[in-house]
Amino acid sequence: MAYEPPVTDYDEIVENCTCAFCGCNCDDLDFLVKDGHVVGVRHACRLGASKVMEDMDQRLLVPMIRDENGELQEVDWDTALDKAAELIAGAVRPIFYGWSETSIETMKHGIRLGELVGAVLDNQATICHGPSLQAVQNVGYPVATLGEIKNRADMIVYTGSNPMNSHPRHLARYTTFPRGWFRQRGRFDRTLVTMDPKYSDTAKMSDIWIGFEQNGDYGFYNAIRAALKGKEIDQDYVSGIPKEVIMELAEKMKNVQFGALYFGLGLTHTLSKQRNIDMAIEMLTDLNEYTKWVLTPMRGHFNVNGFNIFMAYEMGFPYGVDFCRGYQRYMNGETNTIDLLTRKECDVFMVIAADPGAHYPGGAVKHLAEIPVIQVDIHWGPSTEIADVVLPGSFIGVECGGTSYRMDGVPIYMKKAIDKPETCRDDEWIIRELLERVQKIKDEEAALASK
Amino acid sequence: MKTITLTLKKKSQIALEFDELIPDEVFDWEKDDFENYQVPVGNKRFPLTDYFDLEVEGTAEGPEEVKMILEGDCGRVKYIGCKMSAGEIIVNGDADLHCGAEMTGGKITVNGDAESYAGREMKGGELEIMGSTREFCGCSYIGDWRGMSGGKITLHGNAGKQLGECLSGGEIYVKGNCDILAGIHMTKGFIQIDGDVTRWPGGQMKNGNILINGKLGILLEGFVFDKIVKDPEIDGKSFSGKYIKYTGDIALNGKGGLYLNAEKNRELL
Repeated sequence: MAYEPPVTDYDEIVENCTCAFCGCNCDDLDFLVKDGHVVGVRHACRLGASKVMEDMDQRLLVPMIRDENGELQEVDWDTALDKAAELIAGAVRPIFYGWSETSIETMKHGIRLGELVGAVLDNQATICHGPSLQAVQNVGYPVATLGEIKNRADMIVYTGSNPMNSHPRHLARYTTFPRGWFRQRGRFDRTLVTMDPKYSDTAKMSDIWIGFEQNGDYGFYNAIRAALKGKEIDQDYVSGIPKEVIMELAEKMKNVQFGALYFGLGLTHTLSKQRNIDMAIEMLTDLNEYTKWVLTPMRGHFNVNGFNIFMAYEMGFPYGVDFCRGYQRYMNGETNTIDLLTRKECDVFMVIAADPGAHYPGGAVKHLAEIPVIQVDIHWGPSTEIADVVLPGSFIGVECGGTSYRMDGVPIYMKKAIDKPETCRDDEWIIRELLERVQKIKDEEAALASK
Repeated sequence: MKTITLTLKKKSQIALEFDELIPDEVFDWEKDDFENYQVPVGNKRFPLTDYFDLEVEGTAEGPEEVKMILEGDCGRVKYIGCKMSAGEIIVNGDADLHCGAEMTGGKITVNGDAESYAGREMKGGELEIMGSTREFCGCSYIGDWRGMSGGKITLHGNAGKQLGECLSGGEIYVKGNCDILAGIHMTKGFIQIDGDVTRWPGGQMKNGNILINGKLGILLEGFVFDKIVKDPEIDGKSFSGKYIKYTGDIALNGKGGLYLNAEKNRELL
């Protein structure tokens, strides 16, 4: 990679900002600001820095509505909001999807809007850590904060996850490299284990790599549990791993002082989905008979955990909450966005700070192209290409403040560093405006009906 | 005896919800009542007559005297027979999600395929599906640890993933093949599968019995070989032939029984 000289041409430094990229929510960033733009970021990883730094060429700046020729045309805020409110108020099976890259304060108005119109509220968990949440509902959740891991853990296990690529500062700031209170020598005091079919970048720097076969997760963890219960394993290979290795690993995991397991989508999206997590959690329950073990999902977006915590607190269910009958319901395969889209049930789709156009399976995107889509976002992306109403929001943690939850459930207030473009509005304001406008339409309908 | 025939005339793209149209609710309904009834569709309600032609014959004193016949492809009709306690429902076509969920009595026959969650949290009665189902047949409400606790599900076709999840009673009989993790977390009850099973039946099971007459792909390490049994008797039912009996899942100190047909699974001997 070419050498990039440090940025020296800036007006001021805004200290202790929070990164708005992954679930690590690193809150030690310094933004270098010049002429009201972030021109450099200190302490962040490459992923976080490139997201926070200026990308005005892709920035959505004005509200737009798609005209009859299929072109997005600039309109004023009132027209765009009225059009969006009209679509939402008339929908029979609306979905409000996204929320993971916006603040809890925005979600507050989102829930009220969802309840008012009888919508499905869903977030990115539906395509990433939803299975983890289901497993947690079944068997509980031995959890610790990242600070405890930093100070105590002497064995770190990453399974189905490659943080060197996806969460670059996770090892550096929280788990493996930092010197903790009881781990004064940092990396030398810890054993790093990667369980992944791929010899990933994390596996390359690990002390132990367990490359079990794809879709073999459930059988593999079951074998570890059997070994922990003292069973001599019958099969020579379980999920492609020799039985001696499994017995040895079980013994090592039993004899650590404090272990932490982190799992990613490699575990949630293989054959047995939520049961992999279910099994992994129960394996830790077994290990806790001997020593201390905790686990945390490697959440992707900086506030994807926030939506789940907020929804579970307010509505009892973490994601995929359906208000269509007036009360909240939650059922996998029925009230989740992907299923509703592939079954072609959804008739109006609002996406808030997410990009389903880029991440959804083909069948779901195909249906999205056929129905009205309202987009509240800051960047132009594949979802903008299928959007009918575009409402430009603001960048949480850079252009406006807001609360988010780190992957371990610690709430962090992300402060504002610079001003947003004049033509944009805060996400919170947009959703509140939509709520008020939909409420007005509903009131008018009710008044008409009573006459 | 009251016979209610609903013939589909227009298939809705957004699923209809039939949880209010069960014998317990409609046994005293006249034709007018059905015509005035608005069925939940998404966040609104539309007249039932938009989607179905109606025919009501005879009278009934109670739900046990009701026979409901749904003609046509009900692949977008959810919650058929949900929470019913008596009477009979016949679906001449496919059924959508939650067919026979939480039912406590009566009988449902689906002359077609059923979607996921057929017989979820069933407590009694009988559910017969002539075709196949998809995932979570006879399971718990997602996040709950108590699944189907009574009654009988008979599947003439194939079952999907996680059949009888958290089963705590009752019986499931699959005549076709079954996908992964049949009887996961089960604590009681009986599952019989006549066809082949891909892998991992009985994961995390504590008790109950699973009998597989076909070939098993991959067995979990949590199961310990017990013995070879000839003509076993399980839950008062006799089976002829030789079976390999395993006990598991030992990870949970489980005492569940897994019976594999010895002929079809010779390599495990």
